[in-house]
Amino acid sequence: MTAGQNIPAIAWRNLWRNRRRTLLTLASIIFGVFLAIMFTAMQDRNWHEMINLAARLGGGHVTIQHAEYQETPNLKKSIKDSSELVAIALTQPQTRKVTERVSSAVMMSTAAESFGAGLIAFDPTQEDVTTFSLLDPDALVEGKMFTSSNERGIILGQKLAENLDTYIGGRVVYTITDKDGELVSGMERLSGVIRTGAPQMDASLSLLTLGRLRDIVGYENDEATHIAVFIEDQRESGEVAANIGSSINAEDVTVLPWYTTQSDLAAFVAIKVGGTRFISAFIALLVAAGIFNTLFVSVMERMREFGILMALGFTPLGLFGLVMMESLWLAIVGLIGAALVTLGPYLYLASVGIDMSQLLADQGTMDVAGVAMSTTMKVGIFPESVTMIAIAALVATLLAGLYPAWRASTVEPVEAIKLV
Amino acid sequence: MSEPIVKLRDVSRVYLQGDIEVHALHDLSLTIEPGEFTALCGPSGSGKTTTLNIIGALDSPSAGQVMLEGKDLATLTRKELSHLRRDRIGFVFQSYNLIPVLSAYENAELVLSVQGMPLNERREKVMSLLHSVGLEGMEDRRPSELSGGQQQRVAIARALASDPAVILADEPTANVDSDTAIHLLDLMQDLNATLGATFIFSTHDERVIARARRIVRMVDGHVESDEVRD
Repeated sequence: MTAGQNIPAIAWRNLWRNRRRTLLTLASIIFGVFLAIMFTAMQDRNWHEMINLAARLGGGHVTIQHAEYQETPNLKKSIKDSSELVAIALTQPQTRKVTERVSSAVMMSTAAESFGAGLIAFDPTQEDVTTFSLLDPDALVEGKMFTSSNERGIILGQKLAENLDTYIGGRVVYTITDKDGELVSGMERLSGVIRTGAPQMDASLSLLTLGRLRDIVGYENDEATHIAVFIEDQRESGEVAANIGSSINAEDVTVLPWYTTQSDLAAFVAIKVGGTRFISAFIALLVAAGIFNTLFVSVMERMREFGILMALGFTPLGLFGLVMMESLWLAIVGLIGAALVTLGPYLYLASVGIDMSQLLADQGTMDVAGVAMSTTMKVGIFPESVTMIAIAALVATLLAGLYPAWRASTVEPVEAIKLV
Repeated sequence: MSEPIVKLRDVSRVYLQGDIEVHALHDLSLTIEPGEFTALCGPSGSGKTTTLNIIGALDSPSAGQVMLEGKDLATLTRKELSHLRRDRIGFVFQSYNLIPVLSAYENAELVLSVQGMPLNERREKVMSLLHSVGLEGMEDRRPSELSGGQQQRVAIARALASDPAVILADEPTANVDSDTAIHLLDLMQDLNATLGATFIFSTHDERVIARARRIVRMVDGHVESDEVRD
């Protein structure tokens, strides 16, 4: 037997027999989907921005480096023929920009103090704010940024400069282990002070030009500790890393996605994503329980009617389908309602966002896992997240309808028709 | 002679009420020929409704054999019984039992829709049926907007829609006033005569009994008398 062409019509009208109950159920679906979309949109945007920021502070979305650099990061573990590797990285369609850098631990000293720090040497002619977040003009609080690749001078994080008790034009001596394992020192005058918003970074960050550091540590002109590859969508970093890796014929070179080079951040994101998914699943469970209650009560109220339908020739499967159709209608109307209700707040939060600076008045900044975040919280959701939420809502609604539908399909007509 | 529409042979139906066995039917044998207009009458508890339920494949006997158009109902699956009810049996219930969310037209159309009859054909047939039961112009009314008599007319149209082999009517006039009861009986008699539809009623109503051509009187789950009038 076919389900009959007017099953959807009967199911639709059945839904509106108890208008208040149906509206309450729809409200719970709409609210649940709204919450899931907003939580996920906050999460998607935050993690996306955080990962991009981390990439712009560190080694890019994909890092090409010496195979042993991840385990023992020192200047001995360098990669040569960097310009050739840059060219390979640029062949990937997802690649937006590729830069060379040298990073190392360093000891900073002034006449007053000595502190350990991290040193990043970069070529200001290769980089801009889209590859190196510290080039944001707002980050520079004193002095000036480098403009050429061999420029002298040193730029320090604000807190590090304070700790070293130095000032613009003051002498700073840095001691570093060179590519042969020998200690070498260089002296620069402080040319700039930057503030990232992440206290840990501001207390340990120092910048030199790439050409200057290569001279000090004895690197060739196409030698670096890593090549940072920037792509449009960080979610493709694994695929891009694999593609670049397969194009490089050098055993001592490895290509890693951001979640390998920045495993702390990846673990943090994974924990937060897992937490949000758990909350979303819990919301889905609550919504499903509400839908189940509505459908179950509705079915129990209509047992006599199901008996009549059975007497008229409906098969058990037909009755099952009728109740499942009611579930489907709930899901469809609920999802349409959720889309309408969510769209306005979503667009507002995506474009304007919420200014969190008042809440962060004491510290004035917000950093997560060492990455300075914007104090304006915005949302942005990936299309696949929307699809996943819609499918989850649909499946939860249909699952909630299964037992009531089964009850309807097992009605004994002769018993049910006696019911008043 | 044509094959009987319905043939009950030594049918018994025993219910359990707690630990007590209730014998609703006791070795009942009955044969209904095509085109008959038969009244099952008798006091409450005599087994009229149980007989209709068993003929209509809504209930199954504890013992005995039920044949409908030569098919032994005991050999059919649940799905096949559903199809049999859909295609070969029409039901008219005492309390109409229309689907409240559907209009008169949609209630009458329901079985045809479930059968998968094409829309145009279905529409033509349902409109004709509603016309024949006197409900022209009331197609769009929901059951709550119809009187008891009008609802029962819709139920009759619904029962006739699939051209069933037999129409089973359980106390069809019990919930309507006298005038309406007379009109319903006229209608069913007319349909019996013009369409050749086989009707089996259960009833206490003497007006129904008076119009029946065959009267089967039941007592304590068996046939006490079986009278055929000219």
